[in-house]
Amino acid sequence: MPLKKVGELVIPSSLDHLSEVDHFAERMVKKLALPKEILDDVAISATEAVNNAILHGNKGNAGKKVTIRFYLCAQYLRLVVRDEGSGFAPESVPDPRQQQNLLKTSGRGLLIMRYLMDRVSFQRRRNGMSIIMDKFCPECHTVQSGGG
Amino acid sequence: MKLKAREVEGIIVLEVKGQMIGGPEAAVLPETIKAEIDKGKKRFVLDLGEVDRMNSTGLGNLIGSLTTIKNAGGELKLANVAEKIQSLLLITKLVTIFESHDTVDKAVRSF
Repeated sequence: MPLKKVGELVIPSSLDHLSEVDHFAERMVKKLALPKEILDDVAISATEAVNNAILHGNKGNAGKKVTIRFYLCAQYLRLVVRDEGSGFAPESVPDPRQQQNLLKTSGRGLLIMRYLMDRVSFQRRRNGMSIIMDKFCPECHTVQSGGG
Repeated sequence: MKLKAREVEGIIVLEVKGQMIGGPEAAVLPETIKAEIDKGKKRFVLDLGEVDRMNSTGLGNLIGSLTTIKNAGGELKLANVAEKIQSLLLITKLVTIFESHDTVDKAVRSF
């Protein structure tokens, strides 16, 4: 079964919109009647990725946008967060679990997204970077086939 | 995110409600802690029982609070940490720097 786009939100690059992203993710998961466990993982990952896109992708430039899209197929829910910046190197992010980084107030977003979601990848384009995250769920099959 | 502060036996109990995910309202926690420190308070319990969701910005907020309180010679303890938040503390190894208690009462009595 192919991926089907089920929702999209576009916001300016401002942290003032993080609650809107959380509410959007909650609305999407509830609309698709997916379980509460998935709701928390997806909503937290959505705000992590958007925070990352605003601060590191778009460098806080409010003139640039962040696009959040949800896709569904029979096996998983896909969340794609795209910025309009020059991108960053995920592999260059220091391990926040190292003793010398434990008291830092930032730098844990990627670790948390990788923990909460089943598959996380990055796609760099000329006009921005996307974080693509998949959450596998047995219920996706029922929803995707119209039974949910 | 909403925050309510109350005093129990000289200890400031901060009840957080809603989402700790960043944004403009996140500033209320460090501002409240700073105001209490300015009044001479040094012992704090952060009640997370009503926190629906927390992300890395929320965790950063906890660490900032701990650092501010420790720098003032005080102590911060967590109470009512939900399973999901506890799992984030575990995978980030922040569980090693925070003292957690099942209830606010237990946290208050532990000082």
